[in-house]
Amino acid sequence: MKKQTDIILKTEDLCKYYGSGDNLVKAADHINLQIRQGEFISIVGKSGSGKSTLLHMLGALDNPTSGKVFLDGEDISSFKEDALSKIRRRKIGFIFQSYNLIPSLNVWENIVLPLGLDGRPLDEAFIHDIVKMLGLSDKIKNLPNTLSGGQQQRCAIARAIAAKPSLILADEPTGNLDTKTGDDVMALLKASAKKYGQTLVVITHNEEIAQMADRTVTLADGRILSSTESEVVSDEE
Amino acid sequence: MKNNTVFRLALSRLRYQKSRTLLIGIAVMLTTMLLMAIGTVSVALLDLNRQMYSGINHHAVFSGLTCDQVNILSQHINVEALSVTEPFADIVNGKMNGALVYLETVKDEQFADKSKPFNSLELESGHYPQGENEICSSPLFFRRVGAEPVIGGKVTLSFRVNGKGEIRTEEFTISGLEPDVEISEKIDDSRLMWSAHVSKALLSKYEQAGLYEPLPNAALRVYGEEALTLDEMTDRIHSVAGDIGLDEAHVVFNNEYLFTATDPGSERIAIVAMISLIVIFFSALVIYSIYYVGVITDVQEIGKLKALGASRRQIAGMFLWQGVIVSVFAIPLGLLIGFLLPRFLFPLALRAYGNGSAISSYSRDAVDAVIGQIHMFSPSVLLAAALAALITVAVSLRKPIRLAKRGSPMEAIRYQENSSDHKVRKGHREVKVASLTFANLTRNKRRTAVTVLTMGLSCVFFICVSAVLSSISVEDMARRSIPKGDFRISLNYSHHDREYPENNLDSLVQQEYFNDAFLSQLLSIEGVESVEREHGKILSSTDRESAMYDDYENRLPISYFTREDVAELNANLAQGSIDYDRMTANNEIVCTHVYSFEQYDLSLGETYSLTLHDGSREIPFTATLTALTTPDSSFPLLIMTEDTWNSLELTCDPTTAVYLYVDDACYDSVKEALEKLVAENEHFSLYSLDVEMAIGRSGIGLVRTPIYLLVVLIGVISFINLINTMITSIVTRKKELGILQALGLSGRQLVRMLAGEGLVFTAGTLVISLTLGNAAGYLLYRYAKKEHFMSISRYHYPLWETAGLVLVLIGWQLLITLFIRKKMEKESLIERIRNQE
Repeated sequence: MKKQTDIILKTEDLCKYYGSGDNLVKAADHINLQIRQGEFISIVGKSGSGKSTLLHMLGALDNPTSGKVFLDGEDISSFKEDALSKIRRRKIGFIFQSYNLIPSLNVWENIVLPLGLDGRPLDEAFIHDIVKMLGLSDKIKNLPNTLSGGQQQRCAIARAIAAKPSLILADEPTGNLDTKTGDDVMALLKASAKKYGQTLVVITHNEEIAQMADRTVTLADGRILSSTESEVVSDEE
Repeated sequence: MKNNTVFRLALSRLRYQKSRTLLIGIAVMLTTMLLMAIGTVSVALLDLNRQMYSGINHHAVFSGLTCDQVNILSQHINVEALSVTEPFADIVNGKMNGALVYLETVKDEQFADKSKPFNSLELESGHYPQGENEICSSPLFFRRVGAEPVIGGKVTLSFRVNGKGEIRTEEFTISGLEPDVEISEKIDDSRLMWSAHVSKALLSKYEQAGLYEPLPNAALRVYGEEALTLDEMTDRIHSVAGDIGLDEAHVVFNNEYLFTATDPGSERIAIVAMISLIVIFFSALVIYSIYYVGVITDVQEIGKLKALGASRRQIAGMFLWQGVIVSVFAIPLGLLIGFLLPRFLFPLALRAYGNGSAISSYSRDAVDAVIGQIHMFSPSVLLAAALAALITVAVSLRKPIRLAKRGSPMEAIRYQENSSDHKVRKGHREVKVASLTFANLTRNKRRTAVTVLTMGLSCVFFICVSAVLSSISVEDMARRSIPKGDFRISLNYSHHDREYPENNLDSLVQQEYFNDAFLSQLLSIEGVESVEREHGKILSSTDRESAMYDDYENRLPISYFTREDVAELNANLAQGSIDYDRMTANNEIVCTHVYSFEQYDLSLGETYSLTLHDGSREIPFTATLTALTTPDSSFPLLIMTEDTWNSLELTCDPTTAVYLYVDDACYDSVKEALEKLVAENEHFSLYSLDVEMAIGRSGIGLVRTPIYLLVVLIGVISFINLINTMITSIVTRKKELGILQALGLSGRQLVRMLAGEGLVFTAGTLVISLTLGNAAGYLLYRYAKKEHFMSISRYHYPLWETAGLVLVLIGWQLLITLFIRKKMEKESLIERIRNQE
């Protein structure tokens, strides 16, 4: 176990309920989770187990019904919307299953978008580095709809890394990709997170990907069923 | 069974896309409402016109007839009704303008009651004059000449037969009273035209004594009003005039009546059809743009349905059903509101006019009666509006249906708006909020263009009609009598009165009424800021044969123009050229009236040897006519340059009028003082701005307010459509905006981005409406001026309307943006991102 100060993300009795009475759905039910700086965590569970809900609350995309989320020691569940948008663009990188690129912007513009929104100066060398690593160098002027699924997801990964967030949250990043492409994308994601010292939280159905993580958290009915450290931490990349 | 599924699919899609369905429904409803409202107001305006002119139902007036010509007319096979008016004498009563006339119905196949001429008002009481000294007029006339308006009452009047000769006085007995009219007390007698009816017996008496020479005018109706078009009626009247050898210049058509009473001619049908087409085109564009904005989701869904095995026909059927379901609710609602809105607002607008008018030949009761009878409902308008709305919906549906028919299911599922347009985008090194705005606008240039065009065209309509309406200016009308300042005192003079030569201008100028002492007296009135003399006038005569001089008893006033006037004269030049120095050097003169120029067959280059009458002194003057112009300001018929005028070295003061500028605060007290002053001199007339404005207002008539109503209606509807378009474009991008927020776009940045887009739309709309709108507005103004619509004479830029439009556009743009932001906050970010997934 690392020191307490290395905890980047922590939840306390995090709950998210939908509906009421007989229809009450507990998407997250008193979840207590601690994630260390630089850790790679996979979240697994059946459909409807509350994986996405948890991820959205970790990423300040959704408000909890009760409980707290601490990011870098700050309770973000009490933040106002404008403060949250600042957190999102500075500290968090999101990767969605359906890529969610902005169709009117080209690949390069999509990647630098969070930086632009934050008004930060552009570290062009760094971005080029990412683009090269993700194999998008000859595609930077392309519009998203001209890319294959794998290319689009790599672009989304580049976008998540570009703003140098401390935390990357990925919701089934390989869900729409074939196995080979999915493996490649995952390997790239893991490598870049490692290279830039970022914490990575990945939701997945894929056993292999789960195996790649430092720790696997299993959810069922909105509760943490288990949290197991991987026996073999793959280091080959 | 299969069709049932398609129907239910359509229904559930409509329910699922609630906000879009609502927006399309509103757009269809508004379009129908606009068409229906325009149709209804037009029907009402036509009917109002018909009612206003129902008492004046002649088709044309022939003037300057001989008794023989009247006889031929009464026998003419095409003449249905004929009434003859003989202007017998001018009333002499202080400064009153009035005439004694005899009115006779010579032929009338329509009305059995021959005692009442077909072409005049029904008497309130009594009968039209029969006995030698009987008279009939409105009660107000009798009160103004100091008699009690009762049947059998006596009134003594002085008059000059045929407007010349000795003044005679007779005592009359009132035999009949016309309906009373309401005319404000503040309008001076000299500014009104009065008339009273006298008997044939009186005319005969004077004719036998050799004192009266009949110069009858005839008002007539020709057969065929029910069957012929306007053009055919006009042709028929022309041929009747030709049959009695009457010159075209002596035929005046009663256009207001003919226009409403006859079947529309081909030209009118074309104009109405064109306006309807413009409205339909513009409405179709609005609905189309709303469909277009949401077409991606449609296409993607088409793909899924195709993948599930739906046939093309079924998919087309689904869209068709969607259109039908929306139409079934929206169109009847639009028709209903489009009818009810004018039904309630039209009478309100008319009453508002009634209250604002100082002088009106229609009393309040009369206005109320007319309002009660206005016929507004027309089944053909209803049908046309409904049909047009249906067609626009059908046309708008073609885009998704067409897309549904081509391509594989997968292509459709993965359809992105710009998939066919571009593969790459040059882009920017950095992405700011402004680049997001820009990227979004250029992503689909066609959609941006359609939106801007839709919004722009709505405003073009508004600006265009406003240009004409703002050119209907009461002040312009008033300024014809008082071109400058607040008051005008002018000299009443005759040209060549042989019996009373002391009233002729050449005698009056010797009195020097407008000398410096008089001007000082005017200036000494408290509140008078300055006094200005009008350009002087003197009489001219000629020994040469001239129809023009003959018509004015061989005395025509002549005046001058200054170097400053040259610009205005040149701007309205019809023929020849105006060069001040050349004209001075060669004694050249300008004619300022096209109608007289044509009527008297004048031609440029003609030389006149004139005699100018400077008091009793006669100045020989040879001048060449070298230009014809139609200035907006009033000039006498013939004018020379100021330098030529000065070289005449007049000994009399030729001033015939002065203008007074007064302090607004003292307007009423100055007016009172001037009225006293003017009453002391029988040759003076006073024109005051407030009275001329009141007269101008009454000239504009009942029609302007309803037209304003129509413009406001168009403005409001266009505007709602504009909001509709904006909201649609944002609602359909809910997901994308959500993603941007997930990536860290703050609320303020979102507002900035949307406001930026809005600003481009606003700017585009303004550019289109201000260029196209103003150009079309100016053309419409030119057309209106040519047609003498509402006495329009001068173009007024619709400044207030434009400023209003700009403010409303920008203000609402911001409000919409804020509204959208508020609405978005209601839904959590994650819900929006998941939207449509």
